[in-house]
Amino acid sequence: MTQDRAEFRNTIRGLAFISPWIIGFCVFTAVPVGLSLYFSFCDFANVSPAKPPVWIGLANYREMLGDKILWQCIGNTAYYAALTLPLGLIVALGVAMLLNAKIRGLSIYRTIVFLPSLVPAVAAAMLWLWLFNSKLGLINLALRGLGWSDPPSWLNDPNWSMPALVLMSLWGVGNTVIIYLAGLQDVPRELYEAADIDGATPIRKMWHVTLPSISPVIFFNLIMGIIGTLQAFTQARLIMPSDGAGPARSTYLYAIYLYDNAFKGMRMGYASAMAWLLLLAILALTALATWTSKKWVHYGGK
Amino acid sequence: MTTWKLLGSLVLAVPAVLLLAIGPRSKSHPPQNVVVVEYWEKWTGNEGEALQRSVDEFNATRGKEKGIFVNCLSTSGIVQKTLVATAGGVPPDVAGLWDPTIPQMAALDALEPLDELAAAHGINDKTYKKVFWDLCRYDGKLFAMVSTPYCYALHYNTKIFAEKADQLRAAGLDPTRPPRTMDELDAYAKALDERDKDNTLIRTGYLPTEPGWDLSYIAYNFGGSYWDDVNKKFTFTDPTVVKAFDWVQSYSKRLGKDAVTDFRSGMGNYDSPQNSFLAGKSAMISQGTFFAQVIHNQTNGKMDGQWAAAPFPTAVPGLENVTSCTADVLVIPKGAKHPKEAFEFIAWLNEQRNMEELCNAHCKISPLAKVSENFLTHHNNPYIRVFETLASSPNAHGTPSIETMTDVGDELGLFIPDLMLQRTNAKDGLAVVQARMQAKYDEFTARQALHKN
Repeated sequence: MTQDRAEFRNTIRGLAFISPWIIGFCVFTAVPVGLSLYFSFCDFANVSPAKPPVWIGLANYREMLGDKILWQCIGNTAYYAALTLPLGLIVALGVAMLLNAKIRGLSIYRTIVFLPSLVPAVAAAMLWLWLFNSKLGLINLALRGLGWSDPPSWLNDPNWSMPALVLMSLWGVGNTVIIYLAGLQDVPRELYEAADIDGATPIRKMWHVTLPSISPVIFFNLIMGIIGTLQAFTQARLIMPSDGAGPARSTYLYAIYLYDNAFKGMRMGYASAMAWLLLLAILALTALATWTSKKWVHYGGK
Repeated sequence: MTTWKLLGSLVLAVPAVLLLAIGPRSKSHPPQNVVVVEYWEKWTGNEGEALQRSVDEFNATRGKEKGIFVNCLSTSGIVQKTLVATAGGVPPDVAGLWDPTIPQMAALDALEPLDELAAAHGINDKTYKKVFWDLCRYDGKLFAMVSTPYCYALHYNTKIFAEKADQLRAAGLDPTRPPRTMDELDAYAKALDERDKDNTLIRTGYLPTEPGWDLSYIAYNFGGSYWDDVNKKFTFTDPTVVKAFDWVQSYSKRLGKDAVTDFRSGMGNYDSPQNSFLAGKSAMISQGTFFAQVIHNQTNGKMDGQWAAAPFPTAVPGLENVTSCTADVLVIPKGAKHPKEAFEFIAWLNEQRNMEELCNAHCKISPLAKVSENFLTHHNNPYIRVFETLASSPNAHGTPSIETMTDVGDELGLFIPDLMLQRTNAKDGLAVVQARMQAKYDEFTARQALHKN
């Protein structure tokens, strides 16, 4: 048997082994993604075989330009991302640093921080609904105790509904904390020892040793955060009135509006166009983050 | 393998094997050589069990005779799942939906027209109360049959009325009867409101948004409507509609928007003893026929005899028995494999005895024009005659036949809280609703025209 033939057989064998994934990917991901691009240029309700897609060119995209609710959703999503993303990264990093300290009962604290990530979204939403209750909620009870006589009506006031959503999202940073923790434990001890010899303060050690060393982890969490916040759906949908739209549509996020168009309004063509716009936005932001990463992400091997 | 590993594996494996061997089994086994009708139903709990009893009875009687077996599957998110299954060409034979979905689904060609099947079973416009026959139709065709319907009425707490008799009399009101006009309703509400020593609202005589399920249709009680079915135009800016929502906002202005928000945030779940009416925090509310069952179940019968139901007041002299009606409906999705057999089941359910049994179990009215004395006498709602009269009235209104009804519901769901929080007034807010909804409707019809060309 020649080497070429053996290599060919090996390739075939390898492809055969991963074929379940390839077939699954094509059928359940690649084809639907391709079809959604086609549907974005069609009027399509996707409810009856008797009503196939009708080609309307760029009409869906043109309509998006004039759709005031869509622009409000884009604004809301940008606002949500602008608050959640940095706050989530900072809070998670801070908590991870605390959990990286050598103190008694560390594993218990780590478990407590991670627990909210395991609570089902619906159960967490019920909990937060009562926490945010303007009259009986613990948050307003605490604020009244601190002297704020007229604390916010979190879920009914358009000015406070988004901060409420952000606060709720920060509760679930456990997953990010675990990733940070793994990164922190990977920072070489010698670097800290060298910094100690140089007389570095704890803040300078964090700035010059810790952060550069875990910058690939921060970058990973940033990318996942961009994707996650732009696709945020569940928490707002569960906790906010009007099926997630919130008071005066103040928490109407892009993904919720997309879902409503697809499955309530049965405007699958328009929803597909929205999905492609979202994909392009995520791609652009990810590309931007990747481009800037050359300046602030330091890989150990380089 | 160590002993512990072996033990651990056994602990996991034994229950699994036992579950497989003697675990629960599906209760329904289709007999051989019958047509199996797949029926997706949204109801679970007591209502789901009542529907299953009807299905079982059909299978044991008419189904057995005709070689049909109905397989009932409780399904969450039923509208979306039915639509997706229909689009995929594998719909159920029968789906239990809500009537507001009919115009959209029918317009999108997702439902089988039922006129011929209904006619073959002798079902026609005389079979149903007019309001229910109309809400099953779209564009001149029949697309659904009712399973269990209801209408709204004013529920008032007679115990509170008796306790507050002096205050009511002082306001020139009769504590032995409910209000009959909007002016009376306002006066009763004001007399029954109660605040504690800190001026916190602890009881409302009446609050439109508690729970406010039928508040979208309040214009009917002022002699107006937000939809012109002849010209297919929204009429949200009609002075009567504006007047109706001005009236809604008057409660926020009188009680105070923050007081209302605080009051409502203290309410428990609807189907719980903390329901504002059950907890005595609302003296009057607008609710559906089924509410009698909620009252009875959640208070263990302690509130029986301490409440009554009456037609909701109107603002126009001579305008009586105004109500809005809605219904759970059974439809046959486009592409269903066994439409004839499916309709056999639907028609059986619409026979008077079977329909009344199911509607009583759901504590609802009957959609049928003829109602038996037995149904009225033994119904779980002691005020069933009030509801039957309301639903049979010429002033009974069904859900408007609008293809974009889900958008209308969403828009009003945002407008009404804005109104109560005084972020807008009725005139300006309704002008926005009008512009948005008409644009949505016009766009929907324009897109539908694309498919016809």
